[in-house]
Amino acid sequence: MRAKTFKGGIHPKEYKELSNQCPVTPAFPSSKTVTIPVTMGGAPNQPLVKVGDEVAKGQVIAAGEGFMNCPVHSSVSGKVKKIQNCLITGNGSSPCIIIEADDAGRENLLPVLDPFESTKEQALARIKEAGIVGMGGASFPTHVKLNPPADKIIDYVLINAAECEPYLTCDERTMLEQPSKVVDGLAIILHVVNGGKGGSGHAKGVIVLEDNKAYLMPQLEKAIEEAGKTDSISICLVKTKYPQGAEKFIVSAATGREIPSAKLPADAGCVISNVGTACAISDAFRLGMPLIERSLTISGGAVEKPVNIRVPVGTLVSDLMPEVFQLKENAVVKIISGGPMMGFAMASADFPVAKGTSGVTFLTEKETFLDEESQCISCGSCVAKCAMRLSPALIVRELKAGNIEKAKSFGLMDCIECGCCAFVCPAKVNLIQRIRLGKGIVRQKMAEEKAKAAAKAAKEGGK
Amino acid sequence: MDNKIYVSSSPHFNFKCSTQMIMGTVLFALLPEIIMGIVLFGLAALVRILVSVASCVLFEFLFQKVTKQKIVIANLSACVTGVMMALVCPPTAPVWMFIVGAAVAMIVAKGLFGGIGSNVFNPALTGRAFMFLSFPAAMGASWMTPKTLGGAVDAVSSATTLSAIKAGTFAIEDGTLWQYFIGNRAGCIGETSTLLILISFAFLLLAHIIDWRAPVAMVGTVAVCSLIAGENLAMSLMTGGLMFGATFMVTDYATAPVTKKGRLVFGFGCGLITFLIRKFGGYPEGVMFSILIMNSVAPFLNNLTARKYGYGKKEAK
Repeated sequence: MRAKTFKGGIHPKEYKELSNQCPVTPAFPSSKTVTIPVTMGGAPNQPLVKVGDEVAKGQVIAAGEGFMNCPVHSSVSGKVKKIQNCLITGNGSSPCIIIEADDAGRENLLPVLDPFESTKEQALARIKEAGIVGMGGASFPTHVKLNPPADKIIDYVLINAAECEPYLTCDERTMLEQPSKVVDGLAIILHVVNGGKGGSGHAKGVIVLEDNKAYLMPQLEKAIEEAGKTDSISICLVKTKYPQGAEKFIVSAATGREIPSAKLPADAGCVISNVGTACAISDAFRLGMPLIERSLTISGGAVEKPVNIRVPVGTLVSDLMPEVFQLKENAVVKIISGGPMMGFAMASADFPVAKGTSGVTFLTEKETFLDEESQCISCGSCVAKCAMRLSPALIVRELKAGNIEKAKSFGLMDCIECGCCAFVCPAKVNLIQRIRLGKGIVRQKMAEEKAKAAAKAAKEGGK
Repeated sequence: MDNKIYVSSSPHFNFKCSTQMIMGTVLFALLPEIIMGIVLFGLAALVRILVSVASCVLFEFLFQKVTKQKIVIANLSACVTGVMMALVCPPTAPVWMFIVGAAVAMIVAKGLFGGIGSNVFNPALTGRAFMFLSFPAAMGASWMTPKTLGGAVDAVSSATTLSAIKAGTFAIEDGTLWQYFIGNRAGCIGETSTLLILISFAFLLLAHIIDWRAPVAMVGTVAVCSLIAGENLAMSLMTGGLMFGATFMVTDYATAPVTKKGRLVFGFGCGLITFLIRKFGGYPEGVMFSILIMNSVAPFLNNLTARKYGYGKKEAK
């Protein structure tokens, strides 16, 4: 089978070997305390508990009324110590519920539910109840994603198993250790997308795997066979290239389609889900387990012995040192929540593992770069490597000149911020940072115009 | 964790390549032409190359100092300009002219336009154009016969092939083509050997320093036009500065478009104008002017972008 691919993109050093031999091992924060953000994907939630409340593992502690809200559960049995703003991924400060675990072992899980006997509504309700969001990083509520508007016909459900970020291997390990759970999760998603029990959809499932993980194919094929899903689930091998894991390129490599500009995968007839998310969906039905734990990779050149671990959601990364992993002395210069291409550089390791935290990377000065930006030499490398076929250097040039419209025509608003352009830039121009600023300006303008129009309409309505 | 933790926008990875490394690689790629120039034209060539490089670096330094900018001569781009300008000048031009050319290249063509990456016209070619138009007698009226052809170091006698072709006095003898291919001919210091330039081209291509589009489009256009006009194809390609210009000048980053389609059109335009000047113009060679003319439209050619992802062929803007 020939590996499929897309045009453009880059080949950063993978560093997968640092951690892909490490089995996913359960770990617990040494302080016996978890810091659970009140909102992890979807619309902002409200805390449902007060300081001093005793909570059970799996109990809903924050939720909201809206369709876009996704509940948050306690990941431990314990007592609420504080509810306050804490540092979270992205360097912002956000309301978190701090719970100290006790030894009582109270559990409040959901009843087990047979996914294939459920209707679409029942299944979607379970996925929402379990608080499942996309675990690849974007944290989009899964019950919304699996329920596209009726006029969008879904042909493919794609499992994003590319894991194209350097260092991260938790998806790879999950597929190696629990292939049948991944396949089960995919089968459940297919069941939901195809309309639930008695549904008439015809979507097929595809596990999209980068060929550096081709050795997983026999295992996954066996799992598909055991599940009796050979007619509806297949595996698609794609070339190892960054940013293969971006949903636009998962779709184009696996199906040959393109997601139209500013539209969703459903507009190209696709639903995409992460490996971890598929497993979480399986657990939500088979075990009644809400999304309160996740696997992640702790890696990077500054980590003494990189690991794959499974921790309660809300575990502070710094709480895993030194029991779970150690840092080399004076080696770390950047702490990244996520991988080095798209992850957030954090000011400290005192931030919680959220539902969307796929890894934490501790980079040494040698691995990352701290060079100052210099003048663009117009070499065109960024244009050549942009998988979206945009012109990053020209976008930034127009932004500097204040020509927002021209910057848009070179693709400002279509940029997925994958970072290929900045990766290859010899002058180290902060392309992505400048493009983000440009997008912010455009969005602010749009909001202002919207407000103006609304004010005008209100004025005219008042007359 | 006592050391400093840095926070910045993603990505946190970078391909280990800098402007300085790129310029260094280009200098390395120019070595065969430099050595060939010295072999053919002796000390005269060496002195001119050194003077040209030294004055380019000095003028860039002075300009940045006087205008209170950050001194960036360490990125080696001034050295590249210096070498290139010397290689496209005749070995007979007086040394002081190279200093004048360097001043025009570094101050007028580059510094005043905003320095590296912001210049509209190729600095080396602008310097050469200034010399060529100001001192036409020294810059092309007479040519030095290479030492390898028995010319004494200061012999100033032979005419270049293009001027001979133009005058209708050129005849191809046995072995001429091979001599031209390896570069055993009169001409500018570094542009005589097609063979060596092809080697440099292949090297720069494999090192991912240059893109094939503009050079191939330029040479291809000259070839097709020459065939249609009934000229000798091999001679059209191997004489003058075509090969050198296509390899080193139309691939200059700042003064060529950055988009793929733009580069194809840019190369095509350079090739077409080169042919027109050679065939119908007042000068025997048209490479320099064709590139400078196309430099002026390069910013507009950047509008020739690829179809963006997610834009159907019809609604693509």
